[in-house]
Amino acid sequence: MAERDLNDLLARSMRARVNRRSFLAAAGLMGGSAALAACTSGGTTTSAGPTGAATAAPTGGASAPPAGDIESDLFIYNWSDYIAPENIEAFEALHNTTITYDTFANNEELLAKLQGGASGYDLACPTAEFLPQMIEGGFIEKLDQSRIPNMSLMDPSILNQKWDPNNEYHVPKDFGTTGILVRKKIVTEPLTSWREFFDLATGKYSGKVVLVDSLGDVLVMPLKMLGYSLNETDPARLAEARDILLQLAPHVLALDSDTYQDKLATEEAVLCLGWTGPLLELRDNPDTADTEYIVPSEGTLFWLDVWVKLADAPHPNASYEWLNWIHEPDIQKAETEYNGYATPNTAAKEIVDPELLADPAIFPPEDVMAKLEGADPAATDNEDRIDLWAEFKSSLG
Amino acid sequence: MTAPAATAGTATRNEGRPWKATAVTGLLLLPAALWYFLLLVAPLFIVVVFSFGEKARNGGYAPAFSFENYGEVLERAEPFFASLRLASAGTLLTLLVGLPLAYFIATRAGRHKGVLVLLLVVPFWTSFLIRAYSWLITLGPRGAAGFFQDTFGDPAFRILGTELGVLIGMTYGYLPLMIFPLYVTLERMDRTLIEASKDLGAGRFATFRQITLPIILPGVITGSILVFIPMMGEYVIPAILGYGRTFLIGNALVLDFLEARNWPAGSAKAVGLIALMLVTITFYLWFLNRGRQTRDVSVL
Repeated sequence: MAERDLNDLLARSMRARVNRRSFLAAAGLMGGSAALAACTSGGTTTSAGPTGAATAAPTGGASAPPAGDIESDLFIYNWSDYIAPENIEAFEALHNTTITYDTFANNEELLAKLQGGASGYDLACPTAEFLPQMIEGGFIEKLDQSRIPNMSLMDPSILNQKWDPNNEYHVPKDFGTTGILVRKKIVTEPLTSWREFFDLATGKYSGKVVLVDSLGDVLVMPLKMLGYSLNETDPARLAEARDILLQLAPHVLALDSDTYQDKLATEEAVLCLGWTGPLLELRDNPDTADTEYIVPSEGTLFWLDVWVKLADAPHPNASYEWLNWIHEPDIQKAETEYNGYATPNTAAKEIVDPELLADPAIFPPEDVMAKLEGADPAATDNEDRIDLWAEFKSSLG
Repeated sequence: MTAPAATAGTATRNEGRPWKATAVTGLLLLPAALWYFLLLVAPLFIVVVFSFGEKARNGGYAPAFSFENYGEVLERAEPFFASLRLASAGTLLTLLVGLPLAYFIATRAGRHKGVLVLLLVVPFWTSFLIRAYSWLITLGPRGAAGFFQDTFGDPAFRILGTELGVLIGMTYGYLPLMIFPLYVTLERMDRTLIEASKDLGAGRFATFRQITLPIILPGVITGSILVFIPMMGEYVIPAILGYGRTFLIGNALVLDFLEARNWPAGSAKAVGLIALMLVTITFYLWFLNRGRQTRDVSVL
């Protein structure tokens, strides 16, 4: 009896048909959820897990005088590969603190995450032009300067920038420029300006040019070529810049912020609009030691990365300790020699490797510094510029 | 409650059961229903609401009611067409590659069936992103592209940074999703039908076209949908294998949400994407099922 019921049940379920209407409904829902899942899951490929696992390397060192009890955890939200691992380990050993290091790929992602309600981070490292928005959004708080005595070591010309004129919210970290990376072994023509870069890219070296995937950096090229401010928002002038970019588009090999140094190394690309980060590594390798970095003569972007303390930081004492300690001259020296970016710390500059100091790509001389321009937050949000960027991206294929 | 039934004992039992049965059914469905509502219906609703809004001052959503974002969707529709083109081509390619493979494993593999299916699954244990990066070497100038450059003497030939590279990457990534439904339907197919068809004089191709294909059609449909939908939303592969040059709807959404931080515009594009997929899949189902006697679609 029961067996026959079971057989009937089985037979019935095997014959069961989903009728078309309900299948379409299900497929539609599935499709919708899959689309959302595809879009959102794609965006999280850039956030990496913590890399500062505490293997306490005993430094047997002197401990800095604690200002209040230093917590046993510190959460840092930063660009990838931006703190020397030896410094992380040193701090962890000094204060018995575990540092969790999370990464973001660009400032917009950082801002988007904070706006989306992400919390639990103590310190973050945005580029200074995002300070106004972070202040307005209430994500960061004013720093207690009495707990950061090493601020006195900062180069005054780097302080008091337009984004935070009284230095209330940030501690400078590194600064630099956006410029041209070139393989001099192959590109023997003179290259000192954006105009020459454009001519070479659209001419002889077409198809071997890489640009970083960043609106603010790529737009510098056409605007400076035309002699305008890189924060230009006037629609007529932006239209001129658009024409230049669209002329360049067919000759661009890739829009890539992450692996452009690999393309330079394999000579798949010989010209690159990028940053100085990969320069040290490329120069160390004898095969690619001919790489040079040029700050174009028309002027270019000045960027400053800064430390900020988040308003809801759960570990304030550890945060302040880090903000001050990272600018101890020998610690800062290790930072500069690790990531190859210019330090604003005058005491550290005295002990930094003289080869780095003498390199105009990393520490630009005064006359070059005078031609640099910082980004304007209002320009970053400008609709016309964003539309221009979307149009440029569409026209690449 | 239930009035005591006057007649047979089974009547009382039947009247009590529906109440309890529905309660138990309800309880069993509750986790799934909650999951669907919180993670699917509610977010979809939020996306639709956002699509009518406008960008907040520092990025995000500000309440408003305007069709401006949809106007922009219609104005700049190229990413939609690019995605549609690549996803359709990718689906067709996975079908062309997957069907013979599934057919072989289901009908000819014999003892090795299990091992072959396992080999199909093993790559899924590696991160998709890492596999995409490995394609950079295989298809790059020192790999396949270099080989073709030498063979055809064309130094400008490239695979990476073109739609072809993206197509190959997508096909590779989603091939197992196409193969599994096909494999299941092929395996369950009644082999005696083929014998009967041959007995009646049909050649191999005629048998395939008239007997096998209609039977495995549900598997083809399922596989196609499973593959088409993620391909439409793909953005990692265009970014890596397309060298950032292919601008698909996934890339446009990333630009809106992460760079421009214009959530309403991105939401409108997302709604557009969903609408486009619904239309495409409906048409696809209608096209494949027209002329069939049974108006039902049986899924597997």
